Amino acid sequence: MPRASWIALLASFGVAAGAPAATPAPLPVSEVAAGEFVHTGRSLALDAPGHDDIANVGFIVGTRCVAVIDSGGSPRIGRALRAALRSRTQLPVCYVINTHVHVDHVLGDVAFRDDHPHFVGHVGLAAALIRSRDFFLQNYRADFDSPPDAAQIMMPDRTVAPGHDLHLDLGQRELLLQAWPRAHTDCDLTVFDAATATLWTGDLLFVGRTPALDGSLKGWLAVDVQLAQRAVKHVVPGHGPVGSDLAAALAPQQRYLQALLEGVRGAIAAGKPLQEASRAVQPAHIGWQLWDATHPRNVARAYQELEWE
Amino acid sequence: MRRIPTSCLKFGPAVALLLCAATTPAATGDSQSPANGAWQSLRPQLYGTRDIGEGGDQLMSVEAPGSTPDPSATPVVVHFGAGLQGKVKAVRVIIDNNPSPLVATMDLAKGLPVEEIDLRVRIDRYTSVRAIAETGDGKLEMRSTWVNASGGCSAPPSATAGGVLGQIRFHPSPDARALQFSIRHPNNSGFQIDPRTGDPIPPHFVSHIRLSSGGQTLMEADTGISLSENPTLRIASSQPLKGPLTVEATDIPTQQHYTATWTAANGSR
Repeated sequence: MPRASWIALLASFGVAAGAPAATPAPLPVSEVAAGEFVHTGRSLALDAPGHDDIANVGFIVGTRCVAVIDSGGSPRIGRALRAALRSRTQLPVCYVINTHVHVDHVLGDVAFRDDHPHFVGHVGLAAALIRSRDFFLQNYRADFDSPPDAAQIMMPDRTVAPGHDLHLDLGQRELLLQAWPRAHTDCDLTVFDAATATLWTGDLLFVGRTPALDGSLKGWLAVDVQLAQRAVKHVVPGHGPVGSDLAAALAPQQRYLQALLEGVRGAIAAGKPLQEASRAVQPAHIGWQLWDATHPRNVARAYQELEWE
Repeated sequence: MRRIPTSCLKFGPAVALLLCAATTPAATGDSQSPANGAWQSLRPQLYGTRDIGEGGDQLMSVEAPGSTPDPSATPVVVHFGAGLQGKVKAVRVIIDNNPSPLVATMDLAKGLPVEEIDLRVRIDRYTSVRAIAETGDGKLEMRSTWVNASGGCSAPPSATAGGVLGQIRFHPSPDARALQFSIRHPNNSGFQIDPRTGDPIPPHFVSHIRLSSGGQTLMEADTGISLSENPTLRIASSQPLKGPLTVEATDIPTQQHYTATWTAANGSR
């Protein structure tokens, strides 16, 4: 289908954002720990109607102010998240934190612009946003407020570099922000709330949904090993239900990424070209969503990383 | 249908297609051109009114994933049946709806029994991908396939990019009948954005590749921006390829040369 009619189709499903709604319905959130609010994204493909609401997003409330962690895939979802936030607290929003560059996590940021928060991300986030800007505007045009423009993509004004953790004080509540080397993307960030021992992994952890590789397979596996050692009581993945056992939540993804690594390495060693590797590498996936679309792409990405080993 | 500015034609049609199309990003837009638009204008330029055979998968076929997992690195495989092996003199690969439709023109050594040529390409939007083979006795055969994909030409440089510019990596099959080689190169299409400045990245791509054995050319290719980042070719023969095989590549506009040699003895280096 030509792109223009595809967008028209999305629009006909009511996905397209028109003028900003005056009073958006609050996004459903649950308080997974004291002051820790999570909206669980829907189980949809990135091009399905409703795809602007697929990522887990939420906010953490301190005694002084509030931090938002990811904002959804459209200003519309961002406003609905803000409405949910305002139904719980009137404290100022001092930080909007993005766990990485992907469209389903960042396009709602603009809904918080008038709150004048700091926008916080990995030191690589700004470059990644600029790199992706035209792609967002072309492929997710209908998700922007009309008229779509790059000014709706918020750039970070506070950054976190790997090895240089950032502490943010929300008032009797300290968040630990850690930037990671290239893994799921080249700008992954995790947020740890010590008060409730809650870890927000962003897309370094997918639960029930096929992990999408957009950074480095070897890097991602290395990060997973480090994450699995963390002592946490609650884990908020980028996609899928909130859990309490981090190592158990990570295990299926680690098995998959390891099988992907070994399978693709084997295909390259056997002199199999890319298109054969996509057919040959078929690890078990225990019924993950979007397997048919995401796994072949992961094989292609892994192949292009590992063929240079 | 895209017209090639006549001022560019003095460089010859191939160069004009590789360069001039790359400097007119505005022309790519979202306009819907007929599925075989570029081919309609390329055919008379490249082949005049000569007959082109189009029947049957036995003699020749073109394969690409109908729905590509990665529009910026889609494998295209041109396969030659026994009736064409050793007889093909030149092969062109064309992606009709790409801003620079002519992916590569490859000249093959006389008698080289090529079974398959694989390329990794960018797909800008839904398109036919076609290959045209010319035999030593002047016959033409064309096959095509359809790919559903978009965004491959403007896709940002992958987050997995990196390495040393011009590094060349060989991946032979265990029986040495197939050899894949990849050249570390951004192969910037001219349609990508510089993350630091937000400005378009100027085109910078591998324009010429030569594969030779002991000084004798096996394959020589003119290539353009429709090849993926880290241009990768694979050639499969009905007989084992004899090393040492040397790859030489040149890019535009810096005219840098890159070269490496593979021998069976040194494995994948």
